[in-house]
Amino acid sequence: MNIELNNVTRSFGKNKAVDGVTLEAGPGVLGLLGPNGAGKTSLLRMLATVLPPSSGGIRLLERDPGSTGARREIRRRLGYLPQNLGYYPAFTVVEFIEYFALLKEVPSARVPKAVAAAVERVDLGTKAKSRLRTLSGGMLRRVGIAQAIVNDPELLLLDEPTAGLDPEQRVGFRALLRSLAETSTVVVSTHLVEDVGAACSEVALMDTGHIVFRGAPAELVARGEGHEVGDAPLERGYSAVLQAARASGKGPVAA
Amino acid sequence: MNDDPYRSARMNEGTDVQSTGLNGVDLGRVWTGVAAEVWRRHPGPVERLAARLLRSPGLARALLTTPSLLLPWLISTVVIFGVGGIINLAGGEPLVWFLAPGIAAVGIAYAYGPGVDPAWELACSMPVSDRLVLLVRAVAVFAVNACLGLLVSAICYLLTAHGTHGGGNAAAVTAAVTFAWLIPMTAVCALTLAVAVAARSATAGALTGVFAWAVTVLGSRVSAGAFTAAVTDSAVYLPYLTIAVCAAAVVGYASRTQRRTQ
Repeated sequence: MNIELNNVTRSFGKNKAVDGVTLEAGPGVLGLLGPNGAGKTSLLRMLATVLPPSSGGIRLLERDPGSTGARREIRRRLGYLPQNLGYYPAFTVVEFIEYFALLKEVPSARVPKAVAAAVERVDLGTKAKSRLRTLSGGMLRRVGIAQAIVNDPELLLLDEPTAGLDPEQRVGFRALLRSLAETSTVVVSTHLVEDVGAACSEVALMDTGHIVFRGAPAELVARGEGHEVGDAPLERGYSAVLQAARASGKGPVAA
Repeated sequence: MNDDPYRSARMNEGTDVQSTGLNGVDLGRVWTGVAAEVWRRHPGPVERLAARLLRSPGLARALLTTPSLLLPWLISTVVIFGVGGIINLAGGEPLVWFLAPGIAAVGIAYAYGPGVDPAWELACSMPVSDRLVLLVRAVAVFAVNACLGLLVSAICYLLTAHGTHGGGNAAAVTAAVTFAWLIPMTAVCALTLAVAVAARSATAGALTGVFAWAVTVLGSRVSAGAFTAAVTDSAVYLPYLTIAVCAAAVVGYASRTQRRTQ
């Protein structure tokens, strides 16, 4: 298993952003759904080793991120796209991706080819030498995705990756996810249920820090049968599960 | 390109070119090899030297992206030191000793951290430790400011009457002032860094450092009768060094991964 979470909690003051999450995931695409404030970003930041848990156990890529040496090894094999991608406006696309390839300790001799491959995979070849300050929001998102995949990560964590992408780019992005997931574990946090339906092999739905549903997209669709809130089958499933979780007082609805 | 999902997706929609050329040559692979050469960035001599010294190309690149080592900041620093030197040569106070700790402290506060480094969140997930980046950047900013300060200070010393004619108490004070500000500069920089890291705010660190240094200088004027006592009085060296050591301990504690709360 590339991800093993055991009763993980993360608190900010008195607020529990993640509350007793237990989760395992191997290769494939795991979609992380949930309303704003559900704890998705905090969970992803813990998986990215940016944020330590307040309690509980985390193992990533068969290693304990609590130890310095193991954490470094995990980070070499990790790709992470934060919700808010900070960037250096004067850097070109290639310079930015190369910078993170170097920080990820990709061997220097392999960096130019790895950067070129990442740029091409997100279809930014024509903008490779453009400064980041000249790019649109969607292009910057693709730059963020490129830096995340430049090291061929075994664990890829993407927070709202399709924000700002147009429909054609989203179709391409889903295909990219599927190809990456053949060998890697990809966790995608998103509000767009159609992305989950098209690209994810599994879905975890979070609410108030808990995972209230875990299963295949088809199972989530099945949960929504007969439910009226939502325009698409997955949206109906999403709404039904959330409603049921809140009515029952937050416990997991399915696993 | 066979392995390019974006293109594959568009090909499915009938809008893209074929990625396999004549005789089954994988044009995608060929193009990636060509692009790697065309887009390759050639590091300058400073970056190559830093990579060799630090034994890490990533750390060297991170060092050269230090906000307070970028050209506009460096030009501002040189201008301030230059003005200080000119005032000194015109017969005023040897201002460099007063300016250097404050300038270096502000530079160090704005070297790295949330709100200062745009890609800080991303950098925190990298195998090259953010703590190491912080350390290397802080040391580099300190070194650059110390070198600039020493250069201007030494030029002023050599060109003033005290320096050229020597002798007397005034010359001794000038000689002491030329180099002695390095110790308080270390303390002020360490204090600034400690506050910036603990408060997670570059501005808080910079304000604290500059305020503490100003209070020290004014305090020495009141207690010893001369502003320069803040750097020439050897009795204050031990407190400076104690502050520096304590502040370094605070930086070490506050910058550990487990401490992050946001």
